[in-house]
Amino acid sequence: MQIRVENLWQTAGKKTILRGIDLEFAPGAVNVILGPNGAGKSTLLRLLGLLDKPGQGEIYYDGQKRSAMSRCQCTSLRRRCGFVFQSPLLLAGTVAANLKFGPRVRDVRIGNPEIRQVLEKTGLSGREGQEARLLSGGEKQRLQMARVMLLDPDLYLLDEPTANLDPLSVKNIETAIARLAREGKTVILATHNLVQARLLAAMIVFLKGGSLVQAGAAAEVLSRPLSLDIAEFSAAENIIPGTLVRREGRTLLDCGHLDIEVVSERSAGRAAAVIRPEDILVSEKPISSSARNSFRGPVRSVADLGAVMALSVDCRGILFTVFVTRISCTQMNLAPGIEVCLTFKATSVHLLPLD
Amino acid sequence: MNYILDGLKQGAALLLPPSSEILQIVVLSLAVSGAATLLASLVAVPASLFLALKEFRGKRLLVGLVNTAMSVPAVLIGLLVYGLVNRRGPLGTLGLLFTPGAMILAQALLAFPLITALALAALKGIARDARDLALSLGANRRQLAAAVIRQGRFAFLTAIIAGFSRVIGETGMTLMVGGNIKGQTRVLTTAISLETMKGNFELGIALGIVLLLAALAVNIALQGLQGK
Repeated sequence: MQIRVENLWQTAGKKTILRGIDLEFAPGAVNVILGPNGAGKSTLLRLLGLLDKPGQGEIYYDGQKRSAMSRCQCTSLRRRCGFVFQSPLLLAGTVAANLKFGPRVRDVRIGNPEIRQVLEKTGLSGREGQEARLLSGGEKQRLQMARVMLLDPDLYLLDEPTANLDPLSVKNIETAIARLAREGKTVILATHNLVQARLLAAMIVFLKGGSLVQAGAAAEVLSRPLSLDIAEFSAAENIIPGTLVRREGRTLLDCGHLDIEVVSERSAGRAAAVIRPEDILVSEKPISSSARNSFRGPVRSVADLGAVMALSVDCRGILFTVFVTRISCTQMNLAPGIEVCLTFKATSVHLLPLD
Repeated sequence: MNYILDGLKQGAALLLPPSSEILQIVVLSLAVSGAATLLASLVAVPASLFLALKEFRGKRLLVGLVNTAMSVPAVLIGLLVYGLVNRRGPLGTLGLLFTPGAMILAQALLAFPLITALALAALKGIARDARDLALSLGANRRQLAAAVIRQGRFAFLTAIIAGFSRVIGETGMTLMVGGNIKGQTRVLTTAISLETMKGNFELGIALGIVLLLAALAVNIALQGLQGK
């Protein structure tokens, strides 16, 4: 489903929760709304799901204006949506009763095989007759997911659907979400789980304090964040503040004892360099390359991340986080105290203004 | 002390078996208070649903009014209904004064704010969630109301039980507009009051026991419904 929002405002009492959001979601893909607590993620989802009326602004569903929709049209649009609430909302009654409510109001016939299938998909096999209120937190969350999947909507609005789940259940739900997008469903997922965003998102929308900070392709937002908030929130490993200077025709970021060469139109003012660990080359000896930045320093710590090893390297007082494979780590004998060289290009440095 | 014990004994004896007069009083009491509670609930249930679900200007004022109305003394409602239904009042042509009709009207007016306010308070935590849930699953207006009522049925039942208990035990107002006419508008409370003042203490106690039993039976029946 094609969804666009225009100048969307929402207030609760005297508090402004959304401040003029303009946004177009990617249809048939997973859209992740990221942001710290209180950013307005849930409020935006509730508006998209037609659960609340916006204070101001417009939402277009496949070009259809929200404000021009009759009550009946709103109901039929809601029947194309599936909403998963942050704190599970369940009906008093059995698991099966909860699953059957949606089809009943939509006048859709659902048989026991479909119910069995969706319970299996969400890891709740054989729980049909159980009282829904007696399920554990994670099971309730999965029942909510099962309830919307059973309805096979075009648009999924998921408010932190994996918040209360154990790692295995998280995996199951993430796999299910990825499959939905492959089937052409539009998924809008609010989370503050960055790993999940990296894993699932085709598009990332970053909200803070009710304002849109950045929206775009996931890779773009994560590697070229437009603000320090996003860089910090997305746990960018190397964020190094400094002052921009121009020397001998080169633009440098003066970070105290270290100058990092950067590519920038600005040549003065405070800025922060964001360097992704995977863009930094680690070697025992200095290597000759076109890369403009090369620093030396001792390894301070080695952390085993499973797939890769994360090194913390101290270059004149600034700690860089870099990744090396397990094999290189053994080959170079990397351990705390060993000196290494770090090399990266000026174009790998993403600059954020700090004013 | 003996006096009271004797009264209890004789009162109980009067009920085994009850006279047709006592039976008639019991039936009329249950019928009047039942009808009044039903009438009040028919308005109070949608009203509390509306107040729980809708946001509008002046909502707080309205809720405040309902809560205040809950504490209006019954005798004032009696006065109001008397004014409405007496021959010179706006509803005078209906000839309701000193009939069960006037008693039902007064008791319904007494029960309405109580049922509305109690249901609203109990619905607070339930209504919005039930609304979100039903709405998100595609319920239309009618299905939404049905879902909220279903989810909030304990809240409604509790409020209705409280309303019934309030009106079946009401005396002064019922006397004012009903008149305590033997065989026509005499109900348990007005009969107890009259018989006791006439010195028929045993009969008063007998009727009191019936009143207690009647209230108990209705409560048990409604609570049985809750269990389902």
